[in-house]
Order: sequence, then C-alpha cells, then structure tokens
Amino acid sequence: MKRLSGLVVVLTVLLAASSALASVPGELLIWVDSERFPVMQEVGAQFEEEYGIPVRVQEMPFGDIRDNLGVVAPTGEGPDIIIGAHDWLGQLVTDGLLMEIDIADESLFLESALDAFTWEGKRYAIPYAIEAIGLFYNKALVGETPPDSFEELITIGEKLKEQGKYALVMPQPDPYHTYPFFSALGGYVFAEDEDGVLDPLNVGLANEGAVKGFKLFERLLDEGIMARATAYDTMMSLFQNGDAAFMITGPWAFGDVRSAGVDYGFTRVPSIEGQYGRPFVGAQGFMLSAFTENEVLANIFLNEFIATKDTMLAIYEQDPRPTAFLPAAEIINEDPDMRGVTEAAEYGVPMPAIPAMNAVWTAWSDALELVINGQSTPEEAIKDAVEQIVATIKESM
Amino acid sequence: MRGLSVKRLFYGLGLAILNVAVIWCAIYLWGVQSYGLLALLLLGALALNALFIFPGGYPYRYLAPAAVFMILLVIYPIVYTVYVALTNYGTGNILTKEQVIQQFENRYVLDPDAGNYTFRVYENAHSDRIFLFTAPDGRLLLGRSGELEDVTGRDEADVIPPGYSELERRDVIRLSTELSALTFEYEEEYQLRMRSASAFALYIKQYSYDAGRDELVDLISGVVYKPVNGAFEAPDGTRLTPGFRIVVGLRNFQRLFGNPQITGPFVRVFLWTITWALLSVGTTFAVGLFLALLLNDPHLRFRRLYRSLLILPYAVPAFISALIWQGLYHTEFGVINRALEFLFDTRVPWLQDPFYAKVALVILNLWLGFPYMMIVCLGALQSINSEMYEAALVDGATTWQQFRYVTLPLLMVSVAPLLVSSFSFNFNNFSVIYLLTRGRPPIPGAQTPAGHTDILISYTYRLAFESGRGVDYGLASAVTLIIFLITGTITFINFRFTGALEDVRENV
Repeated sequence: MKRLSGLVVVLTVLLAASSALASVPGELLIWVDSERFPVMQEVGAQFEEEYGIPVRVQEMPFGDIRDNLGVVAPTGEGPDIIIGAHDWLGQLVTDGLLMEIDIADESLFLESALDAFTWEGKRYAIPYAIEAIGLFYNKALVGETPPDSFEELITIGEKLKEQGKYALVMPQPDPYHTYPFFSALGGYVFAEDEDGVLDPLNVGLANEGAVKGFKLFERLLDEGIMARATAYDTMMSLFQNGDAAFMITGPWAFGDVRSAGVDYGFTRVPSIEGQYGRPFVGAQGFMLSAFTENEVLANIFLNEFIATKDTMLAIYEQDPRPTAFLPAAEIINEDPDMRGVTEAAEYGVPMPAIPAMNAVWTAWSDALELVINGQSTPEEAIKDAVEQIVATIKESM
Repeated sequence: MRGLSVKRLFYGLGLAILNVAVIWCAIYLWGVQSYGLLALLLLGALALNALFIFPGGYPYRYLAPAAVFMILLVIYPIVYTVYVALTNYGTGNILTKEQVIQQFENRYVLDPDAGNYTFRVYENAHSDRIFLFTAPDGRLLLGRSGELEDVTGRDEADVIPPGYSELERRDVIRLSTELSALTFEYEEEYQLRMRSASAFALYIKQYSYDAGRDELVDLISGVVYKPVNGAFEAPDGTRLTPGFRIVVGLRNFQRLFGNPQITGPFVRVFLWTITWALLSVGTTFAVGLFLALLLNDPHLRFRRLYRSLLILPYAVPAFISALIWQGLYHTEFGVINRALEFLFDTRVPWLQDPFYAKVALVILNLWLGFPYMMIVCLGALQSINSEMYEAALVDGATTWQQFRYVTLPLLMVSVAPLLVSSFSFNFNNFSVIYLLTRGRPPIPGAQTPAGHTDILISYTYRLAFESGRGVDYGLASAVTLIIFLITGTITFINFRFTGALEDVRENV
C-alpha cells in the first residue's frame, strides 16, 4: 500500500511536470473550469487560426484555479488568463497575482459586475456572469403572485402549516443566504468609505437593524414557518417534493428545480417592514495574471474576442447564468429566470472581497447555528460573533 | 561470464537512462536558478551511481529506493514545514522580495487625459520596425529605435524609407507581445507604450527601486517606502501590496502562545482530541475483533459472504459515507431520528448538542473503521497455532479463559503496533470531523472560532484558512509542528509500551 501510494505520487508529479505549461511570450495560456472549457477552446482555436498565435486552454476545477495560481504563477509556470469569482480578488490582489485590466469599453458591462471586480479603484476582470439569491416559489402551492413582504409570507405560511407543509426553506446555517435578513433594515458586513474601501474593524452585523432582521429569522423558525437546520440538499428535496412553498437560494438551483418538474417562479427576497433585503451580488470574469508575459496581447484577446456578443452567448448556452455583458443581455433576459436574477442583483451589494471575510464567515455561521439550535438569542449570538470577528482580524493585522 | 555481462549491460543501460533524466532535470533547475535543489539532485545522482559502480555499495542498492522516497515524502515536507513556520508565508506575503520589486518597477500608470495615439507600423526585410503615430491633437510622430520625431505635415511616402511596408492589423495582433516591448520616451517623464491593437498611450513609471539604500521611491508622489516586516512601508505607516515573504523567526510561535485568543481553547481541544483518538481506536477494535471472532468460527455458514459484506463500509469512500451519515443524523428529517420518534417518541439533537455531536462522530468513525480492524484481527487469528487451543481445552479452560489468556495476548503481539498507528491516525483524522461537524456545534460566547468537536488538526485548519488575514500558512505550520511533537511523543511512548508486550510470546 505504501509503495503503491508512493508510486501514485511519483506518477502525479511526473504528469504534472510534463503538462506544466507556462506563460510564453507570443502565446496565450488560459485556465478555465469545465463549464467554460469548450467555449474557450473554440474561441482560442479561432484566434489561433486568424492570428497565428497559439492559444492553449487548460481545464481545472473552478475552486482550484485560485489556489493553483498562488502556487504556480510565482514560479513562472502560470497562465496568462484565468477565470474566477470576484470574491477571490482581495486575496489574489494582496498576494500580487493579478494585473489590472484595461477595459476598452466599460459601457458594455453591467455596472454592478464591474464594481464587484474593482479593487482600490482598479478593474481586474472582464465579467461574464453575475449571480444573486432570490425567492423561488411553487406556483402550484401559492399561485402566480409571490408575496412582497415577509408579513404576507407568514400569513401564507400559517395556512400551509395546517397542511403539514413549510412555507420557507433555505440553506442553514449559511450567512451568504441569510444576508438579506441582516441587510434589509441597515445591517452591513464592513463599513465603506466614499472611495469604496472597506474598514475591516467596523462590522455592522450586530447593529439595531441587523438584530431586528435576525429576530425575524428566529421567529420564522419558532413558528414553524421555516424548516429548521436544513442543509442545501435537504432544502432542495423539500422544495422539489412540494413540502415547502418558498425557497431562498440562487441561480445554481434552476436546474434541480426544473428537473423535478416544479412549476416555479423566481423573484427577489420579500421585504421586512417595507425594506427589501440586499443580497450579496457575485460576479465571474476573466482575470489577468500578474506574471503574464503577454499583457497587451491578453488585453486584446479579452477586449476583442471575449467581450463579444457571440462569445458571451456561447458561454451562456454552455452554462446558463445571468450575463454581465449588456449586448447579450437582451437575448438572455428573455428567459424569465435570468431576468429574475438580474433584477434581484439590482438590489444587491457586491459581496466583500477582502481577505478578512474568511474570519467573518466562520463566526457569523456559528451565530446562525446557535440561534437555529435554540442555544442562544439573536442579540447575544451576533454580538459575540462580531466581537470574535473584530478580535480575529485585529490579531492578524 | 556471459550472463554477468548481460546483467552489467542491463545495469549500465538503467544507469544511463537515470543519468539522462537527472541531467535533463538539472538543466531545468539551473534554468530556474533553483541551486539548492540542483545540488541535492546531483549529490543524490552521484550517490546512486556510486552504489551501482562500486561493488561495496551492493547491500545499499536495496535500501536506496526507500531512502529516496523517505527523503522525498517524509524528510523534505518536515524540513519545509519547519521553514514555513519561521516565515510570514500567507495571504499578502507569498512572493519573494525580488518578485515584488520587479512588479513595482514594471508598474506604469496610464495618463487618462492624454488620450490615445493611434499608430501604423512598418517593417522591412530585417524586421526593423518604424511607427507612425497620430497624436490626439493631430500631430504626426515618427517612432524609431526608441526615439520620437515630429513629422507633422509631411507625407507618409516622404517619411517612411523605401523597403518598409505597413503591417496589417492581423500581424499587429500576432506580434503584439514583441511590439509592446518597444517603448518611446516622451517629454522626459512619459513613456509611449502599446495599449491596444490600434493605439499607444502615455504612461508614467510609478516606482523605482534603489538597491543601495533598499528603498522603493514613488516617482509620482515622491514618497519613499522602506521594507518593514515583509512589505514596503511609507513613513506614515501606509503599506504597499503585495508584501513579500520573509523569515520572522519564532514570531508565529509567540503569536500562538502569547495570545489568549488562540491558547484559550487549546487545552479543551487537546483533551477532546485525546478522548476522540482513544474512543475511535477502542470502539473500532472492539467491534472489529468481535466480528473477526465470529467470522473465524468454522461452524458459521456463508462466512465469505459475510466477510465481503462487512468490508463494504471500508470500500466506500469516507467522503461519501460521511455525507450520507450527515443526512441520517438530521434532527428533523434524518432516518435515525424518525425511527427513534416512531419507537420511543423522542428526538436526539445529534449534531446540535455538544455531547451527542461527539457520540455521532464516534459512531460514524466506528462505521468507517471497524472493517479495517476486522481484517487485521482475522489475519492475526489465523496465525495463532490451534495447538494452543487444544492445550487450553485439555487444561479445562472455559471459552472466556481461552479468549482472555490465549487469543488476546497472542493477537496483541501483531495487532498492538497497528493500534498505535491507528491512534495517531485518528489523532489527526481531519476528514471525518470536517465532513460531519466541521468542529461544530459552536460554543456560545466564545471569543475564538474553536467549536465543541474541533480536534487539533481541524482547529489548525481554522487558524490557517479562516484567519482575519485570509490564509496564514506560517501560523498553521507552527501549530502543525506542535501537533507533530505531541503525536510523535505519544507514538514513541506507545511503541515503548507495546514493545514490552512482545515479551508475552516468551511467557506463553
């Protein structure tokens, strides 16, 4: 067994070494995930045919791209262009792994997507997709019109309870999905100054508005309106089976909901006391490695071959997500799902991308769990969490 | 004699292939200036060659592969971990100082008001290139070997020497990396640099590094940055990103021991880690041994079938099992609680209550771990001489006495070392903890991220990857070394203890 695992390691190292491709002057190397791989291969082949510049596209799991870049790029073996999510920005930029992108025409892109990829006033990606969470509703259970406020949702929920059904399900404990509860009445993660720079020591998750929203969250659990402690899969099967009428989650769930044959609609998360919660907006895009040998070439490729209607539509068709590219939006937003997410995103705020977020997720998630388990009150739990967040961030400063 | 020469030829060929590979690697290492590894590689290759060339090296030939892997897979990671523990390696500090300086030196700021300089490129047969720029104000500029000349009002045919022909857009894009290396000085402070396939633009170089004084000067604002603690810092305390990797000595250990935020939960986490490792070994061994005894009974029918079925949990990847168990344990929808509700009208908060979360973990680990113990015990049982049992029978021993005084001691001889390694394994059994509970449930009012079921290694993970700064490899390596010391000590003591057990054989 030992010998076998040794052999495996050696083979992997050899394979890795033989496939180790690097940024070479006059050639482009692009790292993409499997969903974007076929499209990029095609675009790359076209580019190669037209300009005689070899374009190599390497496929790897989405989440690995960030980690691999940090390991590989500094050794000079990295790519020119990567695909990635905007919340990687903080880490990658402070690590010195990304290069500013010179976007030729910013009016082609959704502003919130550009903003999400902006770090200290500089643009770091050509965005292709955005995402934001919203409310799925089962039309067979609650009709065509979704509730506009949580008050309405609770009224509907009382009736559903008599039928032994839940009104609402959402992933728990999950800060990302719970943020609209906190943000509706004025809660925020980090305070922002006028230049958009975040202050990691000013955490607004335990302010008055945030606690109010968190209490509503607890009330929904206590009154049996919302199912308790549902992980993502449990949540999904409750909604798919018609045991829950509403579900708070994002565009990645469309496939599962559709395949279950649910007649559904998608809209923004209901309001609390007349105020709509602001979901986190995420964005995906093409970024430029700081270690590229082809800064200008890569910029030309991205501006003239990726930021085109054809490429963006091809990316959409491979993996339908709301687009960040306005010329393609008209076609893509004919799909009510995509329109729904785009609208939900309009009310959103970019998810903070600073590295300190790592400390936030943990403590915040613990606070949610304590309340979900009934082991603490919302005020206590979130106050402790914020203290822990600030202490952790201070310690590492 | 002939056979010998074929053998030598074979060895020679093998060595030649090996040496070619080594030379190939060496050239690469030389190219990337990794001289430490290069020296190591050459020394290793030299030693290997010596083993095969000199007859005296014969016995070591068999040891050599093991030594190579030992160095590669055990020694090197340990040395590297020690090194990382002494550095500030982590988010914001992953590059070397040279790389960071290079990045700053190559940073140019676009002058946004200056506008674009559209261009045409002309090339002759020797690939000499001439640029013709049209400035935003309409002036015509001729760019040649880094120099600019104002040629406003002159004709293109007049300016471009014969033998040069204009490059098409297609070729401009193809050559863009080469073309972008060509820059032009413009009015002292500016540089005309390629911006896109159709335009150049004015840029200002932002930083200059003074190697003698070890300072980074911001050429635009005049601020001088000095390297402090792994980043360039201005007199007012502003730090530039990216920072770089430096050796910080024992600072990570000081942070670890000098900070109540981190040391607070350490004792509690440590005690649970020990409990967890003991319970894991104890339960899996007890159940595994019991099943092995049953399966070892020749009167049992369908033994092979049972054995295959019982090994299944071992064959299913732990990742999948753990996720399934997570569903089974769900308080409201899980099968376990539904059954309990049906039978006893009660629900157990499996993953929410600190005590039950621990029970849930032990049960899951039992499920994952008993087949291994069962296999081990089955093998060991086969090796016990049946004469022993006959002798015991003659002496009138009961079944229990047979087990207690014959089976168990003889079994322990071969199984005890495995129990020790199983203990070490579970001491660091990150995946089970992380997959089922992620260290949760959280502790109310805690100032640190440690949860009720966190063991040392999962706590390390939290410190490393959920820190306020992003990722903190330096601190994590420091904790890893401490865990290594603890497990190392425990294992050492255990082996001494079980080494004493080997005498049992003589006593029986």
